[in-house]
Amino acid sequence: MIIQRSDEVPDITLLKRFPVPRNFGVSAGSRIGKGRTWPAPGGAARIRRFDVYRYDPDSDGNPRIDTFHVDLDDCGPMVLDALIWIKNRIDPSLTFRRSCREGVCGSCAMNIDGTNWLACTRFISDLATPATIYPLANMSIIKDLVADLTHLFAQHRLVEPWLRSRTSAPERERLQSPDERHRLDGLYECIMCFCCTSGCPSHWWNGDRFLGPAVLLQANRWLTDSRDEATGERLDDLEDPFRLYRCHTILNCTRTCPKGLNPGKAIADIKKMLIERRG
Amino acid sequence: MTRTQMRSALGKAVGLGSARDGVENWLLERVSAVALIPLTLWFTVSTVMHAGDDYATVMAWLRRPVTTTLMALLLMALFHHTALGLQVIIEDYVHSRMKVLLLVGMRLGCLAMAVTGLVATLKIAFGA
Repeated sequence: MIIQRSDEVPDITLLKRFPVPRNFGVSAGSRIGKGRTWPAPGGAARIRRFDVYRYDPDSDGNPRIDTFHVDLDDCGPMVLDALIWIKNRIDPSLTFRRSCREGVCGSCAMNIDGTNWLACTRFISDLATPATIYPLANMSIIKDLVADLTHLFAQHRLVEPWLRSRTSAPERERLQSPDERHRLDGLYECIMCFCCTSGCPSHWWNGDRFLGPAVLLQANRWLTDSRDEATGERLDDLEDPFRLYRCHTILNCTRTCPKGLNPGKAIADIKKMLIERRG
Repeated sequence: MTRTQMRSALGKAVGLGSARDGVENWLLERVSAVALIPLTLWFTVSTVMHAGDDYATVMAWLRRPVTTTLMALLLMALFHHTALGLQVIIEDYVHSRMKVLLLVGMRLGCLAMAVTGLVATLKIAFGA
């Protein structure tokens, strides 16, 4: 079965984690050690354990895993609520990005129980015990759960994600038929949280040149837009053994997208466009 | 500071630019894969069916024009597909200077094996 959306992913997976030793192939400075275990809050009836990745750039120490105990009766239902609860009640130095708390800003993307997802749209009740919270994989970590996204946004900038038109600007809006507008469905909803790119093995090995699923989905969004007139130039810039063709349809992107989009199909559509252009 | 460290994020992402190439390899890998489905099936079934036969019968089978044609097609599709697949694997995982050496060696190796197979097929077909 080819997975089309992240909500179609089966609950039971063959391997929760690929069986290699922990810290295998990890450079000395990135090896994760055991951190502090913070005491459970007194008098709490329902307690959930969270193992959270910590990294402090101001110390010379390696990353570590801190253990927190969250009082579920005092805390909202989402993973982000638990992180905010920890920051307010236990350790104010816990650092993470968050803004909208409703899955439209893409700030709180992180690795929750081994899957990249938005902390604000993941229920605590769906987590394993203990719940594990890591930052997005394959990124330089700035602090704790904050990953450095500079390169990914530079790659996004590279595909020129804005309308390029040679027709002189019209008096009013550039018109689009309802049908043409519907072709953008499944593309425009992307919030650039980079859950997909962080989970893509091709981007792990060749992230310097491969654009990754999030950026390629955005590229397809502008290739598909009926108002855009730079389709040819856009395809020229994408047709590259590394930028586009490093995608081997692994489909981790589609499995992990917290917005239920299908970056794998978007990339396949770009490949189809290139075949069509070739004739 | 070296130049790489001073370079902007966009400059690093752009790198050497787009190769404007790749669609040909992608298409040929798929076309050869489709061609290999009937060819491999034919080869497997035929080999199994000739398993108990003696040397003369197998040679007579190999000399038939249909067999020679299919064998030549199989060898070309197989080694072309192998070369394209191995190229992707090497490009994925090798990031040192070995990459160019491995790519050239792999290409020449696949070509040598295809030619060897073709020579053998033709020698059986037209030879004594």
